[in-house]
Amino acid sequence: MDTISLLMQGFAVALSPESIMFAVVGAILGTLIGALPGLGPANGVAILIPLAFSLGLSPTSSLILLTSVYAGAMYGGRISSILLNIPGDEPAMMTCLDGYPMALKGKAAEALAISAIASFIGSFIATIGLVILAPILAKFALKFGPSEYFALFALAFATLGGITGKNQFKTLMAAAIGLMIATVGIDISTGVQRYTFNTLELFEGVDFIIAIVGLFAISELLFFLERHAGDGLKQVAINKLKLSAKDIIKVLPASIRGALLGFVSGVLPGAGASLGSFISYTLEKRTSDKGEFGHGDPRGVAAPEAGNNGAASGALVPMLTLGVPGSGTTAVLLAMLISLNISPGPMLFQQNADLVWGVIAAMFVGNLVLLLLNIPMVGIFVKLLSIPPKYLMPIVTLIASVGIYSVSHSALDLYFMVGFGVAGYIFRKVDIPLVPIILGMLLGPEMEKSLRHALVLSDGDWSVLFNSGLSIGLWTVAILGLVLPIVVGPIVRAKMARSKNSTR
Amino acid sequence: MRINDRVFGMLMLILAVAYGWEATQFPMPFGGHESVGPETFPIMLSIILGISSIYMMVRPDPDEKWAPAAMLVELAIVVLAMLAFAWAIEPIGFMPAAALVVSFLCWRMGASVSKSVMTGVISSVAIFFLFNHVLELALPLGLLEF
Repeated sequence: MDTISLLMQGFAVALSPESIMFAVVGAILGTLIGALPGLGPANGVAILIPLAFSLGLSPTSSLILLTSVYAGAMYGGRISSILLNIPGDEPAMMTCLDGYPMALKGKAAEALAISAIASFIGSFIATIGLVILAPILAKFALKFGPSEYFALFALAFATLGGITGKNQFKTLMAAAIGLMIATVGIDISTGVQRYTFNTLELFEGVDFIIAIVGLFAISELLFFLERHAGDGLKQVAINKLKLSAKDIIKVLPASIRGALLGFVSGVLPGAGASLGSFISYTLEKRTSDKGEFGHGDPRGVAAPEAGNNGAASGALVPMLTLGVPGSGTTAVLLAMLISLNISPGPMLFQQNADLVWGVIAAMFVGNLVLLLLNIPMVGIFVKLLSIPPKYLMPIVTLIASVGIYSVSHSALDLYFMVGFGVAGYIFRKVDIPLVPIILGMLLGPEMEKSLRHALVLSDGDWSVLFNSGLSIGLWTVAILGLVLPIVVGPIVRAKMARSKNSTR
Repeated sequence: MRINDRVFGMLMLILAVAYGWEATQFPMPFGGHESVGPETFPIMLSIILGISSIYMMVRPDPDEKWAPAAMLVELAIVVLAMLAFAWAIEPIGFMPAAALVVSFLCWRMGASVSKSVMTGVISSVAIFFLFNHVLELALPLGLLEF
C-alpha cells in the first residue's frame, strides 16, 4: 500500500510542533472569520494569503495554515447561521433552515454542538475520500498532453457557474475578463509587451493576490456599508449544553450520508459546496422527515453541515490533482500555491509528495483540533458575534490592507487593491461572478501556454485540440457544463428558494 | 428596468474591441511570423468577451437596485478615505494613518465619534505592534520616527 506509507510520511510532517502550531492558529483564525457574518471562507483565506506570503513561510507551513483556515471557516460559518440566521456564505444557507429554529427553541448549544460534530464527520470522511481518490486521479492526469490541458481549463470555466449559476454568459464574460487581465505583462515565450502601456509596474502583470483581496474583501466592505450600516444584529442567547449519546447517534446516519454526498459534489466540477449542502439537506428531508424539518430538527442541522464540509474537502481533489479548483476558496488556495512557485497538477504528487501528503495529514489533525475547539470553546467565538460589525469591518479592512502592503511595501498595490474593490462592487451589482475572474487570472498563463504548445506541435492545425478521445470527452463535459444549467438551473434554484421560503 | 446590463454590456463590448484591436498591433516577434503568436490568445478572448457582452445587451437581466444617490456619495467618500490611507501610509506613518481611516470608517458605519476614535487608535496600535514585533514585518513609522 503505497498510499498508506506516503500518508504516514505526511503525518510525520503534520505532527511536527511547527505544523501543529500552524494548524491550530489556522483553525482558530478560520473559525473566527467564518463566524463573522458576511465573511466567508473565500474572503478569509484571501485576507490571510498576503500575510502568509509576506511572513515568508515555507510552502508546507503556508498551505497547512491556509487549509486549516479554510476548514475552520467552514466550521465557523454555521455559528452565524444558527445564532443570527445569517449565513456566512452560500453553502451555509441550508444550515439556517433548522439551526435557527433550534436556537429559537432554546437549543442553541445543542445545535452548535451537533453541527460541530457533523462538520467533523463531513470533513473527516471527505479527507479519507481525498486520500483514496487523489492519487488515482493524479495518475490518470499524467496522460494529459497540452491539448487535453487546454480542454480541461475550458471545462473548469464552463462548469464554474455551477448548476445553480444564473446567467452562463456572465460566467463566460467574467472568465474572459480574468484571462484578459492575465495577458497583461511581458509575454513569456516571445518577450513582447502586452497591454503594459509602457508602465514598468505592469511588466510583471497584475498580482492576483491584490485582485483577490480587492474583489472579495474591499467590495464586501462597500456592500456591507450599503446594506446594514449601523444596525445591530440580534443574537439568540445560548443555553447550557445538554447533549446525550442518544442525540449524537440520532444524527449520525444523516451526517454520514451528508458527508458522502458533499464529497461527491465537491469533487465534481461545477457542483460545489452550495449544491453539497443543498442535496444533503433535501435528501435527508425526503428520507427521514416526519414534519419536524424546518422547525428545528437536529438532523436538518447535521446533514447540510456534513455536506458543506465534505464538499470543502472534496473540492481539494481537482485542485491538487489537476490544478483546477472547484470552488471560490480552492481558487484562492490555488493562488497561494502558484505564488509559492508550486504548480498544482498531477506532477505535484510526484515532485512534492512531502508537501501534498503533509497537507492532507494536516487536514486530519486540523479537523481534530477544530472539533476540540468548537465544542468546549464555542462560547469564545460566539462572544465575537456580539461585537457590532461597525467596529469589526473597518478593522478587517485594515488587516487586509496591511497584508497587501507588507507583500511588496508599495503604496501603489494599495491603490490597485481599492480599484479592484470598486470594480468588484460594480461587478456584483450587475451579477458578474467574481470567482471566474480570479480563476482566469490564475489559469490564464498556463492555459495560453498549453494552447500555444499544442498548436506549435501540430504546426498550427487547430484540430489538434479535438483529436484525442480524452480531449473530446473533456470538451463534451465542458459543453454540458455550459448548457445544462440553462435547462436544469431554473428548476434547482426554484427548489432551493422554495425550501428556504417554506421555513420562514 | 433593465438598464444595468445594457450599459455594462456596451462598456464591455468597447473593451473587447479595443483589446482585440490592440492585440493585432503587437510587434512581430523576432524570427518572423509563427502560426501562434502573442496575439492569438488575446484575439480569442476578445471574441468571447464580445459575444457575451452582445448577449448581455440583447437579453439583459432585471436590474439589481442601486443604492440611492446619498449612499453612492457615501461609498465614494469611503473609497476616497481608503485611497487617502494608501497615500498616507508612508509619509505620515502607519499608526496615525490607520487610526484615522479606521475611526472614519467606524463613524461612517454608524458608531459614535468617541467609540470610533477609540477603535481606531487601539486597533492601529495593536496591529502595528503585532506586525512589527511579533510577525517582524516592518510597517512605516512615518512622523513618529523620532
